Amino acid sequence: MPYEQALGNSLRDAGLFPPALQITTRDKIGQTSSAVALGGLRTLVATFLNLRAFTYFTEQRWQDVEETFNTIVDLAPHTRYYWETGSWHMAYNAASYYINDSKLPPLRRREAWRMSILKGRVFLERGIRNNPDDWSMLASYGFLLSDSNKYPAFRDKNASFAAAADAYRKADATGKALGYVKRSAFYALARVDGREAEALAEARRLYAQGKINHTPTMKALLFVLQAWENPQMDLLASAIEIFETPENAYEALSAHWERTRDGFPVHGVSKAIVLLEERLAIPKDQSVLNKPLPPPGGPDEWFR
Amino acid sequence: MSSTAATSSKGSHLSRIWVIATHTFTQLVRMKVFYFLAVFAVIAIASNFFDLPQHEGPEAVGANVLRSIKSWSLGAMTLFSVVLSVVATALLLPKDAEDRTLYTILAKPVPRFDYLAGKLLGVLLLVFVSLALMDALMTAVLQVRTNMVVAQQEEMAKAMGWPQDAITSLRNETLESGPNASLQGAVFAVFLRASIMASLALLISTFSSSTLFTTIVSFLIYFIGHFQADARNLYLHSGEAGEGVFARLASLLLSLVLPDFQLFNVIDAVIEGQVLPMIAVAKLALVGLYYAVFFTIASWFIFADKEF
Repeated sequence: MPYEQALGNSLRDAGLFPPALQITTRDKIGQTSSAVALGGLRTLVATFLNLRAFTYFTEQRWQDVEETFNTIVDLAPHTRYYWETGSWHMAYNAASYYINDSKLPPLRRREAWRMSILKGRVFLERGIRNNPDDWSMLASYGFLLSDSNKYPAFRDKNASFAAAADAYRKADATGKALGYVKRSAFYALARVDGREAEALAEARRLYAQGKINHTPTMKALLFVLQAWENPQMDLLASAIEIFETPENAYEALSAHWERTRDGFPVHGVSKAIVLLEERLAIPKDQSVLNKPLPPPGGPDEWFR
Repeated sequence: MSSTAATSSKGSHLSRIWVIATHTFTQLVRMKVFYFLAVFAVIAIASNFFDLPQHEGPEAVGANVLRSIKSWSLGAMTLFSVVLSVVATALLLPKDAEDRTLYTILAKPVPRFDYLAGKLLGVLLLVFVSLALMDALMTAVLQVRTNMVVAQQEEMAKAMGWPQDAITSLRNETLESGPNASLQGAVFAVFLRASIMASLALLISTFSSSTLFTTIVSFLIYFIGHFQADARNLYLHSGEAGEGVFARLASLLLSLVLPDFQLFNVIDAVIEGQVLPMIAVAKLALVGLYYAVFFTIASWFIFADKEF
């Protein structure tokens, strides 16, 4: 008996022993599934429940999807897929459904949309607490908080971007994350008001690491943050230095100017575009600055 | 007794046990028990078709299906091995008595312990071979599917312009979800649990009146064994909640006699992608060995004085 006790404790410490099945979970899955789960087949029950949750998803029964995923993660708390998929259903699929749900008045649709995103966020936070070393969950969390279609659901935009940058950095710190995570951390940080200096330092560090980080967004943000640091800088020279040709610079900065929904800073962009248009002899009527900007989207437009 | 005689006696014990074990194995194989492998093959292949849609990039492609194969296969292995070990063991003594083989064997200079140990070993051999075949099938299916998932992920990652180091990192992560040593450790844990159940069924069959009784009681104990840890905790922390003497004694008895089957639920952790260290497998093997020996010796005590 003491040997079994000690072995049980050591397996629990090593994360090889699942936590005891909650009574609420036993109630939800029923007697037969409880017996199967107690018989050492918890992940098998979770697999079947996942199939059931998929049926609920196809039938757009969002409350059932949420409850089923809560049960699934009680059964298999270390499976990344269930946390990410459950969060995805709540924050993306259910939220998108409410944007177009014609049965509800706009105000209620907006609240249902916001609540779905918050539920997805909370669900993923629970997953991260259970699996603090899982880079993918941390990256998914960062993605959710900085997603241009989702961050309007959070009260404080600045805090959301800061939390996203923090999550991406933690993901990177696990040492297992893919390369894009470093850049994503920077993209989130660049959108935090008041942390421009930190973002610029990070941009320079990543840019110096080589071509792998020379993405159009990285180049545009490096330009913007340098313009923020030194408003008197030669915008034209700086743009050509970063983007290599005036044509590339004009194309990239125009695209950056039009990305209104992402919430990126635009210090010096309009001035640089004017200078580049002069340099490239682009007529005023064809200027990107004179074109109407794409609608910003977001809840104010969706729930009119 | 001289040392030569002792060695000879020991050798004959082992050879007797082995003869009875192989005979038992043959006897069980002739009952066409391996037909269930066809069902297992269907399960292993069917688990490939539950590749539900995922939400993101290459890293999510096929992530669910590899776990689904492991989950379904190890679940089926657990079920089949426990049922096989209980039912096969429960059948043996009554069948030998009915066929009068038992009287023929015991009329010869065969110690009753050798007979019981041989029977148990025969069942364990059957369970081992069955699990080995299922394991081979699961590993093959998983390997093929892992290769397919890796190819799909690489194709998608290249199309999205991922750099080579990211593709390599993703490939390594996916390969970790394929066949590995931890998965084999999990299959061994399934075997250990089935071994304990076989020895437990052997103990019950020595005093039971029918195969049905042995089977039902064994399965009841199987489920109760999953609560052994609760009983143990109750005993170890008794007094804190004011339990009575009866509750303390009952929890002590349960904790001492029944194995803690929850320990073998490490297979769930392996399905979820955790690494099962060799030391944990070795410790589980000790638990399995202890209960198998304990129940076999207890069976011998009962069987030794049984009149036929």
